[in-house]
Amino acid sequence: MSYKLVQIIKSSLAAIAVPVFIIYIMVAKPDYTLMNGLAHVVLPVAHGVGSVITWPVRAIGQSADWIKETAQIRHENEVLRAKLDEALANKYNCDIAVLENQKLEHEINVKKASPYKSVIADIQFDDSVFHHNNFLINRGKKDGLSKGMIVVSFDNRMVGTVTDCGSQFCRVRALSDHDTNIAIRISGSDISGFLQGNGKSRASIGFFNDTQFVGRKGLKVMTSNISGVLPSGIYIGEMVDEKNVDILRPNNISRVMVLQYNDIGSYK
Amino acid sequence: MYMIVTIFKQLTPFLITLFLWRLSAYFWNPAGILCLIPVFYYTFVRPIKNFAIFGLIFCFLIDYRGDLALFWTCLYCLFYAINGFQKYIDFQHTDNNAIYIFMTFIGVGFFLLTIYGFSWINFINNIWLFVWLSVLYTPITALDNWATS
Repeated sequence: MSYKLVQIIKSSLAAIAVPVFIIYIMVAKPDYTLMNGLAHVVLPVAHGVGSVITWPVRAIGQSADWIKETAQIRHENEVLRAKLDEALANKYNCDIAVLENQKLEHEINVKKASPYKSVIADIQFDDSVFHHNNFLINRGKKDGLSKGMIVVSFDNRMVGTVTDCGSQFCRVRALSDHDTNIAIRISGSDISGFLQGNGKSRASIGFFNDTQFVGRKGLKVMTSNISGVLPSGIYIGEMVDEKNVDILRPNNISRVMVLQYNDIGSYK
Repeated sequence: MYMIVTIFKQLTPFLITLFLWRLSAYFWNPAGILCLIPVFYYTFVRPIKNFAIFGLIFCFLIDYRGDLALFWTCLYCLFYAINGFQKYIDFQHTDNNAIYIFMTFIGVGFFLLTIYGFSWINFINNIWLFVWLSVLYTPITALDNWATS
């Protein structure tokens, strides 16, 4: 057969194929069973062979995708880290606020539970110098405070006495001050004596009414109402040896409670 | 070595077609439509023995992937028939590897696809594909000349 004849036959077949395909599409619609069946054979073969010959290109493309994805993840990681840092900072602030809130709540509860009228004050300055140990609190005459009142911590432990009062502040003499000399009593006994500060975290006690008494570690020391200067029964500290008592110093606390004692031996 | 080179040259049209079809990608090569370039080129411009069946299969595969119901297959057969029956235009000796005829081929196809269920998105998409295929026609056919020379 000549080339031209073959060409005409091929073209005729192609020309015939067009209406055949169109009729098929119209008839087989919408399932196209034959076409889909053929595709189910041809497509996997073409896909498989194509995968083999295109793998270098696809591998490069895949690598590019991975690089892009890695860059995105890194960027996202940086953003998330920044957000995490911010969130942690907020969390710390929240934790601090919660603790502060608990502290305030505790202080309010202590104040409410106290049978005495009291005023809460912040310690402004701790003026410890040599063997003197004074500090200032931010409440004064305007808040009803006056000289001689007792300053205690929020665990009801005596810290000192008010020695001077301004309108908006008071100066407090701590127990550790060298000039402190208060009447005390050994808890659970009738033994009384005097406590004197010495500028240290331990105050000395002595001049007991019972000369046979020898102090020992672990005994609790409280205020005594001898002479009516101080109210009775305020916890001071615990003896650490036969002559020294462990006392609370103002540099260990930030807020105190002032019991409004009226110098006449009774609370307001 | 000579035999390997010869086999490679003979396989190049098929490999290029398969290569372009397999590397289908959204936007750049949807349904592997870029393989229309070697299908057209090796069928009409530089005919390869038995390539027409191969081209037909790949038109069918494009249609199947693109859910076009034998559209490009029919158009391919139609062009094949027209080319076989007419004597006025010799595709094999047309300038620029018959790029204008190729543009006519895909232009008719995209035009019909555009007016069938017209939408602006579809219209813009078809224009993009028309331009993209037309632009790539020259380098891909030049690649063939380089590979088979």
